[in-house]
Amino acid sequence: MKALVFGPGHIGCGFAGQLLHESGHELVFAARDPVVVDHFNRVGRYRVRLVGQGKAQDVVVDGVRAVSTREPERVMEEIAGAGLITTSVHCANLPSIAPLITEGLRRRKEPLNVIAFENMGTAAECLRRFVAECGFETSRHGFSPAMVSRVMSERIGDPASSEPLTFVGDHAFETIVDGTRLVGPIPSIKGLKVVHDFEAWVQRKLFMFSAGHATTAYLGFLKGYHYIHTAIRDPEIREAVLSAMREGQQGLKARYGPEVAGDESSLQEIVARFENAALNDSIDRVGRESLRKLQEKDRLVGPAKLAEEAGVSPEKLMLGVAAALFYCNQHDPTCSVAREEIDSSGPGKLLSEVSGLNPENTLSRLAVDTYSQLVASRGMGSEGSEGPLLSLDRFFWA
Amino acid sequence: MKIGVLMLKYPSDHESSVFSGVIRFLESWDVRVDVIYPEDMVIHLSEVRPEHDLYVLKSRTEMALGLAGMLHAAGAAVLNPYPISAMLRDRITTTRMLMAAGIPVPETIVTARPEKLASLLSTGPLALKHFRGSMARGIHVVWDAEELDGVPSNQGPVYAQRFLTTMGIMRRVYAISGQVFGVRTELYAATPDGKAGEAFTVTPAMNDIAHRVAGAFGIEAFGLDVIEDGDTVYVVDVHSFPSFKGVPDAALRLADHIYHACRRVMKGEPMLTGSGGGAS
Repeated sequence: MKALVFGPGHIGCGFAGQLLHESGHELVFAARDPVVVDHFNRVGRYRVRLVGQGKAQDVVVDGVRAVSTREPERVMEEIAGAGLITTSVHCANLPSIAPLITEGLRRRKEPLNVIAFENMGTAAECLRRFVAECGFETSRHGFSPAMVSRVMSERIGDPASSEPLTFVGDHAFETIVDGTRLVGPIPSIKGLKVVHDFEAWVQRKLFMFSAGHATTAYLGFLKGYHYIHTAIRDPEIREAVLSAMREGQQGLKARYGPEVAGDESSLQEIVARFENAALNDSIDRVGRESLRKLQEKDRLVGPAKLAEEAGVSPEKLMLGVAAALFYCNQHDPTCSVAREEIDSSGPGKLLSEVSGLNPENTLSRLAVDTYSQLVASRGMGSEGSEGPLLSLDRFFWA
Repeated sequence: MKIGVLMLKYPSDHESSVFSGVIRFLESWDVRVDVIYPEDMVIHLSEVRPEHDLYVLKSRTEMALGLAGMLHAAGAAVLNPYPISAMLRDRITTTRMLMAAGIPVPETIVTARPEKLASLLSTGPLALKHFRGSMARGIHVVWDAEELDGVPSNQGPVYAQRFLTTMGIMRRVYAISGQVFGVRTELYAATPDGKAGEAFTVTPAMNDIAHRVAGAFGIEAFGLDVIEDGDTVYVVDVHSFPSFKGVPDAALRLADHIYHACRRVMKGEPMLTGSGGGAS
């Protein structure tokens, strides 16, 4: 069966592509960048380096080719003959591929499943809506989101060269899809877990793993670290991250029960993954797009609200929120937008706009108070520079 | 990832505890760390070539500096960069660089003839130091002209600074990847705790000075000896890659700094970023 993968990036190649290949699918990538298209058609293969627990395993994914999204006719032909479509293009780019998918689907008699590996629960529904807006009746086809378990940290190599690219990630291989949104026979993909309460499983990943990952990144940034694997070894950060994940877990347990929430060992397994130095997972990569990560249903505010509903005060999740407000990265324009907004109107207004938290709400007040304490502990520099954060516990030092 | 560390061999009971921790962290991240003792080596200059992705110049000896220079000339990446480490061994150049960066330093005079300093003693004592080196050892405070007679004049330029009292407390400001820390040490401490130093919150002036030094010299891991006199903070010494004793989580922070520098070298990027992860 042929699988057409939109977006040959970290997830498209390093996760979806590898698992599809190992499940016996012919792999075709649809890419926007002509250099990338040319690379795959010349080289025909790439590597996935799976790292962790002191060992690295290189998996060769061969027999691959690519088509350019700038050649709609060819993409439509591929869709017409495909047994499965996956996307990993980032949600913001879904509107641009929707017309191609629409026209490709028009040429088909058989139903087709489209799985959005976008790590966002609403991605597939958004894509289906974009396709419907192109005047196409979508009900015969499946549009399921997918939650990716693997951490993909980097791509090594230059598509302009003839050396195969290498995508680095950890060993996790589970993909959770929404069984209620798929049609016909379930695609055979290694590690695919079909669930009928997808929202619960999305929240499990988002409110524990992603919450811990983001908290590590934002606190690590505050304390001056460059990598997730170093930040998580800072005893204060480690304790705060575990506490933040416990808060999210308690909310999950109250809402969905222990099967979804897991137990303490689930949290320790997550922390062990953060310790994986071979990923070279940077604070910059995990912390980027902080405003998106502060959205109401996302990895920090989402679990905080769930925890609060369960009667748990989400202090460490709100510490993560407050720390995220400090995050800056010269390559991430959203940071400067956030900074300007905070400087002009304060953190409460930003959280109201981005996270939907009413300034009078307990969570908003907790986040703003924590932010103020962090400001006080760091406001020792001049000309806008900030001092180090030395204690998460007491927010000041000496 | 392979990192070579140029170190001075200490007796087993005098190991640098912070740097031992750094090595343990790096090794736990699958970094191969080779400790190199230049004093134990017989080096054929023609055979020196880089065998590591990054070298860390931890030792302050002339032999270590010489080996770092050879490696630098052979194209190796050295942290802190060899030209800067070499410059920091020269108090005269370093002090002038500090002045050029607008960093307060005590009045400083250089002469080949110690007796020429006599006239300056009428306005207060002078602290005489060897022009090379960065350790506080060997500082000689001169109050009277007669004391200048005992100062050797055949060991290169005499470096003299207006003496500012520390009141027995040495304040050292450390920087790692843009983060700035303060550690206060009792100069004449009788107890291990006093010698180990106590953390203090750096003032805005100290923070500003540390960032200026980082910018002026292009280094991100260093220490400054500072003396507060009234409202002014004076820098009296700059240390390239000191012990960092007393800095919270120093080993982890340094390991992160070194790992990041090495990663950048391996990716063909500039070794230093210009600011740390937490710097604004």
